[in-house]
Amino acid sequence: MTGSREPATTGSHEPATTLVRAVAAELRKTATLPASRGALAVAMLGSLGITVLNAVSVRNALRSGQPEQVGYTSPVEAAFSAFPLGTVGAVILGVVVISSEYTANSPDAGGGRQITATLTATPGRLALLTAKVAAAAVLVLATAAITIPACLALAHLIIGTPFPAATLGETAARAAGTALYWMLTGLIVLAITVLTRSGIIPLIAGIVNSSVVSVSILLTHLTSLAYYLPDLAGLRLHGDDPLDMFPGALDPLPGGLVMAAWTLGLLAVSATVFTRRDA
Amino acid sequence: MLSITRLSKRHGSRTVLSDVTFQALPGRVTGFVGPNGAGKSSTLRILLGLDRPTSGTALIDGKHYRDLPDPMRTVGSTLDGSGAHRSRTARNHLAWVARAAGIPRHRVREVLDQVGLAGAGRTRVGRFSLGMGQRLGLAAALLGEPAALVLDEPVNGLDPEGIRWMRGLLRGHADAGGTVLLSSHLMSEVAEISDDLVVIAGGRVVAAGPLDRVIAGHASLEEAFFALTGAQ
Amino acid sequence: MTRTLARTATAELIKLGGLPAARGAVAGTVAAGALLAAALASSAPAGPDAGRVVTQAVPLLQAGPILIGILTAASEYAGRQIATTLAATPNRLRLLAGKAVAYLLVAAATSVATIGAGLAAAWLTRAVRGDGPARELDGWAAAGGGWAAAGAVVYLVLIGLLALGLAVLLRSLVPSLAGMLALVLVVSPLLSGFTEHARWLPDRAGSLLYRPGADPVLGPATGAAVLLIWTALITSVAAAAFHSRDA
Repeated sequence: MTGSREPATTGSHEPATTLVRAVAAELRKTATLPASRGALAVAMLGSLGITVLNAVSVRNALRSGQPEQVGYTSPVEAAFSAFPLGTVGAVILGVVVISSEYTANSPDAGGGRQITATLTATPGRLALLTAKVAAAAVLVLATAAITIPACLALAHLIIGTPFPAATLGETAARAAGTALYWMLTGLIVLAITVLTRSGIIPLIAGIVNSSVVSVSILLTHLTSLAYYLPDLAGLRLHGDDPLDMFPGALDPLPGGLVMAAWTLGLLAVSATVFTRRDA
Repeated sequence: MLSITRLSKRHGSRTVLSDVTFQALPGRVTGFVGPNGAGKSSTLRILLGLDRPTSGTALIDGKHYRDLPDPMRTVGSTLDGSGAHRSRTARNHLAWVARAAGIPRHRVREVLDQVGLAGAGRTRVGRFSLGMGQRLGLAAALLGEPAALVLDEPVNGLDPEGIRWMRGLLRGHADAGGTVLLSSHLMSEVAEISDDLVVIAGGRVVAAGPLDRVIAGHASLEEAFFALTGAQ
Repeated sequence: MTRTLARTATAELIKLGGLPAARGAVAGTVAAGALLAAALASSAPAGPDAGRVVTQAVPLLQAGPILIGILTAASEYAGRQIATTLAATPNRLRLLAGKAVAYLLVAAATSVATIGAGLAAAWLTRAVRGDGPARELDGWAAAGGGWAAAGAVVYLVLIGLLALGLAVLLRSLVPSLAGMLALVLVVSPLLSGFTEHARWLPDRAGSLLYRPGADPVLGPATGAAVLLIWTALITSVAAAAFHSRDA
């Protein structure tokens, strides 16, 4: 845990070293937390599992000569349609990185929460939050780097169509966009969890809005401004919407920028609150 | 009377308790001492029906805890702090305990008064200090006016005034004919309160009997404790 | 036995009422029911009628009873409350039964209020927009809409009961909540786009309670039966684990 490091006294005279140390500590803490391992397992195994089920259905439909039974037949789509599970994993990670700090240890009255130990070891709260954000971002991106190529390879293997070399660049761009979407979602949820100090609301909001029954999608029927909400703004980062379900969605670049702006804005708010309130 | 007979508990290959036998008698305060991880809490958890022993029995007046018709009217217990969810109020906590245990509602106010939390009934448990949490745990233990009290580390987190108060309460309970079994790693406290002593180390009872007999031949209970448990 | 079960169930009700998160879940679900129905009703000019608007909101509203069910069990393990609970009620199967009864009462009241608030909000929204709500609601009721609304209530209560069973098994809030929500909101809609076998998932099968006729194989009664079988399976495994393991 963090107790083994020597206490950072001010956090200001060698900010770079302090930050690197804090990031390393948070990475170790997060990577060894069973809850965050669970979150990354959901992203990885969930995506792989859904990819396999999708790909097998596509293969069966193609073999029986009834491709109209499934939404689309391309292995790339079979893999990409599984990636909401990666978003769910990122949501869980964003929640547990923060909420684990506020969970009571054994004594249920008084202190006993890890946040006390963490803040004693890293008194610079801004450095601590930055370290948590960096740790979460690194873990989500690393998970994406393994999961997304694995799912694509698996889908091709099962469906059996040769990989279309011509679309390699496009697929790579969509994969990078998906990884970015996962990471930004995880950080948005992290920022909200800092504000709520409890995982319940961010967990529900995060998973609801990773789903096809998202409240944001519902709101697009009321106003097209809903496409600027964080989860919908980045929608096209996953690639063009093949079924044309969201005609008003922002293009990948402006959409990604809007989502990134939401992320930075929410992180700034949570940093302000986190540095000002009592632990 | 609380009787622990040949109690053993294993978690996989790890032996937590081995052949633990002792009794806690009415009218006496029995101190249950040992280093951290010696098996004190494991023994009490089995006595209270939370964990199952691998072999042996832990009985309350000859019955298993779960076979007692109204257990909280027979034994009051605390394990590790308040035993309350941190986001509820003290009064809500005691209210559900009373209802579950079939204890009249008016006891809630009475025990809050008795443990000195009369003014904190509407406070959320998460805002309590460690000592207030201990008092709330004790309040739940006293709800059913039980003849026996089983308390795990009851003076943890109490201030000197609280410790003196706890001592008086336990002494009074035993003098009125009740049974008190308390675990602790604070030797001086146990020496002040206890009539009988059970010393456990490494899952085995290394000494048991009246206080003066257990510490006979040693300068103090603390000396006796290190001599007895250091041999393990 | 009934007297002691009533005692345990009442204690569990007091316990739920003392949790701010549970009170918030009840109030939030009812409020969400009204707001979602109003949003749906005002967003679809020539769209579905007031009743169908409410059943469209159920996939989102199920987060409420799921949270209530999970809090009923998982709050025992945030800290050491479970030790106090078992000291007061050492009979573990009676304790689980008491929790289930308390959950069912709270969830039934919440679900009735939520669907009622949703219907009222949709109806009012239509009235404000001048879409002839009264006649439309009559037509909806005549077309079996009342059964769909009742089915939605039953579905909401049952899906939370499944969540309660899962939380007894997992003994922790975040994994139970994440698992249930991922299943009903993400995995099950994704799979239903690819395979017809998705109809056997608990939430897909149960959803036929409020979407009668949406599936060629399962109907409201058989769909509810499939959901109940899932609940019975999970709850039996959870009860067996809870009965035999150390607290």
